[in-house]
Amino acid sequence: MSAVVEARGLVRRYLADGSSIRAVDGVDLVVEAGETVSVMGPSGCGKSTLLHLLGGLERPDAGELRLGGRRVDGFSETAWAVFRRRNVGFVFQAFHLVDELTAVENVELPALLLGVSRRAARRRAMDLLERLAVAGRAGQLPDRLSGGERQRVAVARALVNEPLVVLADEPTGNLDSRATGEILKLFAELRQAGQALLIVTHDARVASTADRLLRMRDGAIVAQTRLGSGASAAGILAGLADLGGEG
Amino acid sequence: MSLLAKEPAHGYELRQRLGTALGPAGGALNPGQVYVTLSRLERAGLVRAVEVAQPSHPDKKVYELTAPGRERVEQWLADVTWSKVAPVEFHLKLVIAAATGLADPVALVDTQRLELLRQLHQLQELAVAEPADSDGVLLLEGASLRLQADIRWLEACERRWVERGSP
Amino acid sequence: MRSLRLAARLARGNLRRRPAQALLLLLALTIATGVLGVAASVYGSADAPWDRVWRATRGFHVSLGVYHPPDEPGNRAFVQELRRRAARLATAPGVVGAGGPWTHLYGSIAVPGGEEDLTAEIRDPGPYAVDQPLVTSGRWLGEGGGVVLESGLAATLDVGPGDTVTIQGRPVPVRGVASTVSRGRFPLSRPAQVWVTSETARQLRDLGMTEEGFELQLRLADPGDAAGFVAAHRSLEATDPSSSVISYLETWQQRRADSHSDIDILAGTLFAAGGLIAILTVATAAVLIAGRMATQVRQVGTLKAVGVTPRQIVLVLLVEHLAIAAGATLLGLGIGRLLAPRVAETSVTVLGTPEPPPLTWGRVAIVAAVAFTVVLLGTIRPALRGIRQSTLRSLVAGPRPPRRPGRLGRLAASLGLPLPGVLGLRSGWRRPGRLLVNAAGLLLGVAMIVVALALRDSLDLLSLRPAEPGHAASDAAVAVLYDQIRAVIFATAGLLLALATINAIIVATFAARDAARNHAVLRAVGATPRQTVIALVVSQLGACAVAVVVGIPLGLGLWSLMEGGDLPEVGVSTSSLLLVAVAVPVAFAAIVSVPARLLARHPVAPLLTYE
Repeated sequence: MSAVVEARGLVRRYLADGSSIRAVDGVDLVVEAGETVSVMGPSGCGKSTLLHLLGGLERPDAGELRLGGRRVDGFSETAWAVFRRRNVGFVFQAFHLVDELTAVENVELPALLLGVSRRAARRRAMDLLERLAVAGRAGQLPDRLSGGERQRVAVARALVNEPLVVLADEPTGNLDSRATGEILKLFAELRQAGQALLIVTHDARVASTADRLLRMRDGAIVAQTRLGSGASAAGILAGLADLGGEG
Repeated sequence: MSLLAKEPAHGYELRQRLGTALGPAGGALNPGQVYVTLSRLERAGLVRAVEVAQPSHPDKKVYELTAPGRERVEQWLADVTWSKVAPVEFHLKLVIAAATGLADPVALVDTQRLELLRQLHQLQELAVAEPADSDGVLLLEGASLRLQADIRWLEACERRWVERGSP
Repeated sequence: MRSLRLAARLARGNLRRRPAQALLLLLALTIATGVLGVAASVYGSADAPWDRVWRATRGFHVSLGVYHPPDEPGNRAFVQELRRRAARLATAPGVVGAGGPWTHLYGSIAVPGGEEDLTAEIRDPGPYAVDQPLVTSGRWLGEGGGVVLESGLAATLDVGPGDTVTIQGRPVPVRGVASTVSRGRFPLSRPAQVWVTSETARQLRDLGMTEEGFELQLRLADPGDAAGFVAAHRSLEATDPSSSVISYLETWQQRRADSHSDIDILAGTLFAAGGLIAILTVATAAVLIAGRMATQVRQVGTLKAVGVTPRQIVLVLLVEHLAIAAGATLLGLGIGRLLAPRVAETSVTVLGTPEPPPLTWGRVAIVAAVAFTVVLLGTIRPALRGIRQSTLRSLVAGPRPPRRPGRLGRLAASLGLPLPGVLGLRSGWRRPGRLLVNAAGLLLGVAMIVVALALRDSLDLLSLRPAEPGHAASDAAVAVLYDQIRAVIFATAGLLLALATINAIIVATFAARDAARNHAVLRAVGATPRQTVIALVVSQLGACAVAVVVGIPLGLGLWSLMEGGDLPEVGVSTSSLLLVAVAVPVAFAAIVSVPARLLARHPVAPLLTYE
């Protein structure tokens, strides 16, 4: 399996109060095709910055980054924009839909930027909205949509050009429990469809849906585990029935 | 028994230490229970009673850990099984680990949390496999919520013990 | 009262903390008040010197002038009758002194460029109870012949005592130069004037000068009531239907008012220019004030804690900006007093050095009124919004929520315009009120360009007109005056353009800030920085389009009001108008792209992070 995202030694520094802080301090990270990876850590650990670096919203001060095999850390703003259209989808905590465009117009935006014809872009957008069960709200402006609906529109927008990877920054941070469940179900479907997904979060429920979990602290990855193995279904069900031993 | 790992103790002192470690929850401890447990442990060969001479009092019986006893404590610390009384027991683990130096509390938290996350992962996979309107989903959701609560508690533990650890 | 004091304190604090916007507004306002201040100090700056000469020469309070065309001897009888009546007038009640009647001869004098009409006033040697001309060089009339030139004539011919002038083709020696207030200074007042003795007059008559009338000058016991005296003796202005004799009475106030046409025209032009600049400043002020209010309201949390209501915010806003208006007024009046003498010195009609008149409350009030009106007009919309909202929260909701794309949006999309263009158009039409205000600012500039183009053609035509015989020097002087006016108008047009440019930049900067989040989102989904710049520029072009479409006809309309009279009527060619219609949007787009590009360089990530 080829790696969709390959980062080596990423460093991002900030100047604060005269001294230089390393928000991301030598991070190595790999996301394989079809994999869901979550990055967990306390606030201020640099996980959002890491996500920005992987998507080109910020430029690393050192290190290498490859997306889909292409070396991207030296890209200019314009080159990144062109690359991002086709290959990266973003999902943000604050949804970040363009507030003067309707839902479907928001979704077709990356396709139009890519040069897809208006009709084809509209069709792709409507198809995605159908799959995500928000087609009924296609003609509404974002401020008329609920949080869960907005995030689903955002996910649709991220998927419209079939990107290499979807980068999600606290995607359920602004959602209630029910909407969170819906989004997680959505992510599970994406996983089954083979979409590579990187989720940055501090929520255990969200992080535990991944195939692989990375823990981050003070700008560095401190632990990495596979979540798919370990506790068995039987063990859990037994625990539920309160058949556990004594302390 | 793990309380003995720190240092050999008299039965009464033991009860005191237990009380301190457990805080308000320790008030419910039955004093007689401590001695009964001690005798059982002695029979199992995990503790040993030693007579200590005291200047103005009759000799005191002091208990200390045997080598197999110590091994058992270490095993217990490393066990990640999570049962219904887990929080109390885990709390004790952390206190003892810090006091005895047998394990790093922060590392214990990390390991336990990882285990819980794995369980959460499996729960969610089970939930996804269930048809949407089945009643079993409710049960899974209940377990999921409890696990999430425990994980949050573990993070609080981590914060406290990281603080304690840093100078 | 307490809230007012609180408001004043908050206003002072605000002004100190974020001075940039306040300074910008002060600058823009001061340009308008400065021009008005110069106008207010130029207008009437010739009065003091005139008064001085008037007093020094025992100037008239009422004068009676009788004129008949030089070649109509048939008026003789009527003129004699008027002479008799004039003699009687000299002894009328209220009269304390009389000068004349002095006969006037009509002829011509050689001036650079040709010939100029000349009046020779015949005087006995004097002294005179009224109008004793002030000799500035040489001697007054007396033994030895020669003529005394009026000071303006001497200055135009650049001659002095001992030189000769050519009257009726013959050289005549100059005896002296004198000033008087009985007529305006040559060359803007015509005809030219010399004083001669009766001896010299005989010689001039032999040379061909003819009698054209006489003048009687009176001093009254009550100079203030000169108008009443004239009213009482209106009968002297009677005309005889059988003759073409003109007789009229004039008060000294009327004469003073008529003596300084160039000062008056200059002041009038500056007032108009100041007014136009002020109108344009309203648009700038509106944008600056709205932006200021937005930044203030963003500190909602702190304000709510202090217990501030929307009304109080509006109050603070008003206090702040009225203070700025007051500052601009003072600065403008100060600039006016400084610059006015230098501007007025270019006048050829002033009898001496021009002095800015004392600042009456009236003049101060005009400048202040303009400044305060501009600020109030700029504050209206944000203030109304503030009052109407009942809670600060609703203020924070910001601009009206976006509406579904209207027909225009769909039209733009279906036209197949590139995506950034479509987004820009949609964004631009979202706030029609703001668009109209910005268009209003621009369209004055466009209208002035059209007017300036027409005026240039018209003044060119004027200078091509052959001078009338006998008006060589005076026409030349008028041409100089028009050149000055033209310079003022072009300077004003340039200033308006500069202001419009500043306004466009300010508006574009605020628009870019408002759009920053949306543009960050666009960048995140793959729009290049250049595409977001294009979107922003297109969003501003709407106002420019309205400005061009309305401004060009407005300019043509303004010109049609101005032309005629002395200004030859002239049209503006279609090609020029087309050039304006194309050049203005192109220049506008170029100007607006500068702040757009600068703001596009800002990092995108912070706008997308949730804190």
